[in-house]
Amino acid sequence: MKPEQTLEEIPLAGLLEGVGAMRAKGGRMVQICATALPGQFELTYSFDFDGRLASLRVQLPASDPRVPSIASIYACAFLYENEMHDLFNIKVEGMALDFHGNLYNTTVKYAFGDTKAPAAKPQAAAVPSVA
Amino acid sequence: MSPWLRLIVYLVAAPVVGGVLSGWDRRVSARMQSRRGPPILQPFYDVLKLWQKQNLANHPSQNYYVLFFFLLVVFTGALFFAGSDLLLVIFALTTASIFFVLGAYKASSPYSFIGAERELIQIMAYEPMVLLTAIGMYMVTKTFYIGGIANHGGLLVLALPGVFLGFVFALEIKFRKSPFDLSSSHHAHQELVRGITTEFSGRTLALIEVAHWYETVFLLGWVYLFFASSPVLGVVMALGVYVFVVLVDNVFARLKWQAALGSAWAVTAVLGFGNIVVLSLQR
Amino acid sequence: MARTIIPFGPQHPVLPEPIHLDLVVEDEKVIEARPSIGFVHRGLEKLVEKKDFLDFVYVAERICGICSFIHGQTYCQAVEAIMDIPVPPRANYLRTVWGELSRIHSHLLWLGLMADGMGFESLFMHSWRVRERVLNIIEATTGGRVIFGSCKIGGVRRDMDAGAVRDTLSELEIIERDTREITKVFIHDNSVKKRLGGVGVLSRQEALDFGCVGPVLRASGVAQDMRKLGYAAYQDLPVEPVTRTDGDSYARCAVRCDEIFQSITLIRQALDKLPPGEIAVKVTGNPKGEVIMRTEQPRGEVVYCVKANGARNLQRFRVRTPTFANLPAMLKLLQGCDLADVPVLVLTIDPCISCTER
Repeated sequence: MKPEQTLEEIPLAGLLEGVGAMRAKGGRMVQICATALPGQFELTYSFDFDGRLASLRVQLPASDPRVPSIASIYACAFLYENEMHDLFNIKVEGMALDFHGNLYNTTVKYAFGDTKAPAAKPQAAAVPSVA
Repeated sequence: MSPWLRLIVYLVAAPVVGGVLSGWDRRVSARMQSRRGPPILQPFYDVLKLWQKQNLANHPSQNYYVLFFFLLVVFTGALFFAGSDLLLVIFALTTASIFFVLGAYKASSPYSFIGAERELIQIMAYEPMVLLTAIGMYMVTKTFYIGGIANHGGLLVLALPGVFLGFVFALEIKFRKSPFDLSSSHHAHQELVRGITTEFSGRTLALIEVAHWYETVFLLGWVYLFFASSPVLGVVMALGVYVFVVLVDNVFARLKWQAALGSAWAVTAVLGFGNIVVLSLQR
Repeated sequence: MARTIIPFGPQHPVLPEPIHLDLVVEDEKVIEARPSIGFVHRGLEKLVEKKDFLDFVYVAERICGICSFIHGQTYCQAVEAIMDIPVPPRANYLRTVWGELSRIHSHLLWLGLMADGMGFESLFMHSWRVRERVLNIIEATTGGRVIFGSCKIGGVRRDMDAGAVRDTLSELEIIERDTREITKVFIHDNSVKKRLGGVGVLSRQEALDFGCVGPVLRASGVAQDMRKLGYAAYQDLPVEPVTRTDGDSYARCAVRCDEIFQSITLIRQALDKLPPGEIAVKVTGNPKGEVIMRTEQPRGEVVYCVKANGARNLQRFRVRTPTFANLPAMLKLLQGCDLADVPVLVLTIDPCISCTER
């Protein structure tokens, strides 16, 4: 069963405006998901409207990714934003509470920041490895 | 029995009785919680084990305070069982508690610091009731000497029912049982880890444990005083009070210090003070 | 007393989970709580790039040690949604049964921890004694106790025969009776009310602003429960969210107490209607596409973002656990509270830190 949900691609410049509109409609902040894709980052901001899920998506370049913080609209976003910074090395500008890279103390810095999975890998790579 | 003999019996037997009572407390509590519980002798095994452990302390001097605490508790009990002055006993006991608190302050850890503060609040909570108990006993028997109180003909509890109940309430605080286990809970599952005793280890902790056994016996001895004219009833009631304390421990959540202090003083004012007023009016 | 910093965790007897709070206290008032997490970050989300998507169910189940089954279920549902796999109705019903059993044991575990946090030891022991019976049912029906790996993409691994259904139902009777006794204490005992009532009040608006989920949100009067989305068997078994309006720790406790009984009812209904047929379908091909799947964990809404590009391993797997969403609210509640209330306030959101660390 596919759950009912919408996904809207918006330009980075329109992010704050888009999130602000979600807030104005009474959306509950559900999550921010960052995905490392070849050559770019994809951020998904999801909001809940009493069971209906609406998401906004922006694309960032892989080199020097920067995104404005939505802390002024949703104060509780600080954990997601710190997570984006600590795991993906995405610079979030103007966070409400900045852990300066100390939310996750991972051995490998920015461990999720690059992806070795290029588009559509060949079947052979599917063998599960323990490493 | 001569006072000296009583004293020697106390010094030797109290830790044994106190330890068995403590083991029995754990067993009964376990049964109230549908658990099997440890063997009755578990407290002795615990103390022996602690005795063999390495002694770790933030400041070595914190252990001397505990040593004095231990000696003063034993001394308090000795005064009591030798039939000395009840007021002296009370102040010796308070001094002992203060040494314990000082030891916790000396340990300089935030947990034992706040535990020590709470212990002071607890002393403040039960002390008025303990004093009123002594005064009440004096009003009935016309003596502060425990020997004299014990040989008083009638059952003290008949004249001092309010004081007796108030004293049982104070015991609940003194034994650090739930709902009054704020300064140091038995199971270290509180915000202060184990509060006042957090920073003590090894032999020092064993000493604290043994001091509590002495204290238990001495406080139950005081309960006995209320029924001294009928020794069998006295022993039964002393054990009964102990069971009651264990039962209360198992049916309450821990109170906050504001509520603990408030309720203790309310009980003191109504039961203790009320009883004394009635006594003085009867004269 | 001057300002002191009281460390709470990462190893603390009240909450044996790796969260660290620096509690800045003045006397016994907490002025500020500074959190740090990240002590056990495992990088399970990254592991998806190395594991076959069929095997990854095991990893998803190991995200949490308490609500394990629903993690596995959510992952399976997400992949099934991408691949358009029709899950047999019997599998959906069995998933519901095991999911609700997980909810009961998680709530009983929480009730015990809460009792212990406020120094009510006997209540703690009794709650966990009842929880043991739930684990026994799970063990009898799946072979595992907490992480029982009975969910797979396309259905479930194990079936329940008529005998197992009968035994489960009769054991549920006992669980319900014992739980009634325990929850009576949580709801009516005076010393419990004193410790929980009015502590950590979160208004309806605040709860929504902080993005709270699950019992925390429902105790503030918002009737949101992801089971209403109708995944698994919930389209046939209506779920009315349990709500309270006070928004304090007592209300959150009451919501969880009521949810145990709601879950018992749901299990009875599900076992009653258990449809015959297959318990799994064969999965062929690789997933391609993406979906955001939400289900209701005992602790609240869990969000799985799954993105696949047609390879054997997924491209992105992201879990937003309920605790992650409730942490900001907890930090807010801790400001200005009494030191003695800290265990209550930390436990009130039912934190699962290893869930959050993934």
